[in-house]
Amino acid sequence: MKLAIEWFGNLCLIGGTIFWLWGTVQLLARRSVLFKLHGLSVSDTLGSLAIVFGLLVRIPAEWPLLLLAMISLAVWNTMLGYVLAYCSSTGGDA
Amino acid sequence: MLEIILIATILILLIPIYQAFQTEDIWQKMLAFSSISSKASIIILIVSVLRDDWWIGVVAVIILSVGNAGLMLLANVLKRIDH
Repeated sequence: MKLAIEWFGNLCLIGGTIFWLWGTVQLLARRSVLFKLHGLSVSDTLGSLAIVFGLLVRIPAEWPLLLLAMISLAVWNTMLGYVLAYCSSTGGDA
Repeated sequence: MLEIILIATILILLIPIYQAFQTEDIWQKMLAFSSISSKASIIILIVSVLRDDWWIGVVAVIILSVGNAGLMLLANVLKRIDH
């Protein structure tokens, strides 16, 4: 059982890293800001959540801190993505 | 295993740093910086779990929150400068 939990943690870590890579490679393409922002916000938020969850499975003793990291990650990254999209697309009116 | 993940995430962090360096458009740069900010805080969190030191983890969560908040403020300032 312990081995299964460890492997599940590793799976989350690897999955999160792959998500990161997928979203970040799109950053180099010649695309619009909003297209890249979509890929980035998905990969950064979900990838980071998977990595932090993998850490949580690995060291349950530190669960309050990692849970705080997951909540603040989900809130802040989503809001940052929205603010960047709004500010970069309007650009005109104050 | 965790060391391999740490090295991989640090290498992935180099991509937005390169993008922030080579792009001219301010909003592409802001995108790259927001990606750097959240990635760097997650990397610090991984280091804190590796060293089993809570205080580094607290610093990572603070960087995550304050870093993104600062970028949001900067985005709003840039929007007002733009027009």
